[in-house]
Amino acid sequence: VTRGDVLVVEDDPDLLALVQMILEDVGFHVRTAREGAAALERVAELMPGVILLDMRMPGMNGWEFAREFRARWGRACPIVVVTAAENARDRAAEIGADDWLSKPFDLADVVAAVERLLRGTAASPAP
Amino acid sequence: VPGDRSKREGASASSSRPGAPSREHALAWPPFRIALTYAVVAVVWIACSDVVLGVIAPGAKGVVLSIGKGTAFVVVTALLLYALVSRRERALRAIADEVRSTIESIGDGILLVDAGRRVVDANRAAVQLLGVESREALFGPVVSFASRFALRSADGAPIAPDQLASYRALAGAQVVPYDGIARRADGRDVFVSISAAPVAGPDGRPRAAVTILRDVSAARRLDELRDEFLSTAAHEFKTPLAVVKAYAQLLQKRDPSEADALVVIQRQVDRLNRLVQHLLDTTRLRLDDGVHRRERFDLGELASAVVERMRPSSPAHPIGLSAAPAPVLAERERIARAMTSLLDNAVRFSPGGGPVEARVEVREREAVFSVEDHGLGIAPERQARIFERYYRAHAGTPLDYGGLGLGLDMSREIVQRHGGRMWFESEQGRGSTFHFSLPLAGEAP
Repeated sequence: VTRGDVLVVEDDPDLLALVQMILEDVGFHVRTAREGAAALERVAELMPGVILLDMRMPGMNGWEFAREFRARWGRACPIVVVTAAENARDRAAEIGADDWLSKPFDLADVVAAVERLLRGTAASPAP
Repeated sequence: VPGDRSKREGASASSSRPGAPSREHALAWPPFRIALTYAVVAVVWIACSDVVLGVIAPGAKGVVLSIGKGTAFVVVTALLLYALVSRRERALRAIADEVRSTIESIGDGILLVDAGRRVVDANRAAVQLLGVESREALFGPVVSFASRFALRSADGAPIAPDQLASYRALAGAQVVPYDGIARRADGRDVFVSISAAPVAGPDGRPRAAVTILRDVSAARRLDELRDEFLSTAAHEFKTPLAVVKAYAQLLQKRDPSEADALVVIQRQVDRLNRLVQHLLDTTRLRLDDGVHRRERFDLGELASAVVERMRPSSPAHPIGLSAAPAPVLAERERIARAMTSLLDNAVRFSPGGGPVEARVEVREREAVFSVEDHGLGIAPERQARIFERYYRAHAGTPLDYGGLGLGLDMSREIVQRHGGRMWFESEQGRGSTFHFSLPLAGEAP
């Protein structure tokens, strides 16, 4: 089942673990990747319901990942940009993302963004 | 006394060491001294010629004696004149050589422009700066010089001929340094600081202009590196901040009994984040990553949103707002930052509390945003510097209420990039009013 499946791409292990924890707490299935190339592999294995994407990462960064993702799968799943950049909204627009979160974010906003984007495609996961 | 006079003149000619005799004035006798020497020798000859000739040619008489005396006089004085003139000539050449060496050893490019607006001389640094083969390659009309090296101001706009430094200097102005860009012969751009000064002719009017081109590329690169570094550093701060904040929220959710302490942690993280954001904003602005988009919006509505957002955090400073509709075409978020920054300052520098008045109005095809406070005001001697980056008008005074000294510099830069202006009135002890203007958007969206 790909519904309710979230792929979190983030290079900081602490932040990654935390986002995974809070999303799993509210019932999502979470897979993780530490950079773009690994994230592409996860997507190739199984299309997630939504992708949370950090932009600055070692290895393949968020921009490169987004370009590659669009080339291979188009708009197969929504992307939420997670960035420390000054203007998260413009960053999101650059890669045609569906939503954005600026660091440091509120946990509630992370959950809300994921829920909002998954609602369109799936039955809500069990809370 | 001629000797004294020569010293004085020599001293004023080489003004670097007043009163100290140097090699130049030993050699370069002033005309007065030359004439005096000539006269003394002539008088001595006239007085002694009979005696001398009587010794050399005891038999000479009448016409022969007169011709002999005259010829000897001419020969002696001609030799004397030759010696004096060539001595002076050598001295002047030595001075010219020294001046030339000095000019050649100066690191800044120097151009001499004559009254016909032609470059007629240049030093080695100018040749190197512009990457040409020889100094002669730089000679010719200033206008061709400007177009050949694509002279433009720092923002890339071409410089109108009558605004060229040498033209302004030839018109009598002292041109203070301004930044420009020149394209070297090899096609590479070089950032230069350009200044110029008139050279006065005998009638006091400029007969030439000296233009100085200083290579500021290195300083500029350093500036860019610093901005890049600050930007990266600020960016790197944000991930740890995000982690701390998120874990504090997690703990708060799991153990509500510690909520008070965890709320403080989050508030302080937010505060640190604002400072970091501020650094990011300023440096990003200068690096201009070009991702911001201009959109059409109402400045009054934006002001009301910004004021609304600020009200809860400053209960001691009731923020009033009167806003007229004022459509502008601008980067909404950046304009909001400029507004926030002015409002922040108004609150920060009104430590005793008191109302802050925000206004949006339309004046002569401009939208004007103003913030008036009744706080500390700015000391007159500090007013000139308050837009400087990192400058903090109250630093080192008992009225230092913190901040990074970036807000006004950033805000003004934002406004200027939109073709607007920022200005203020302030009276120490009475408060300040800051304004910025933006061009009104046209009717078409």
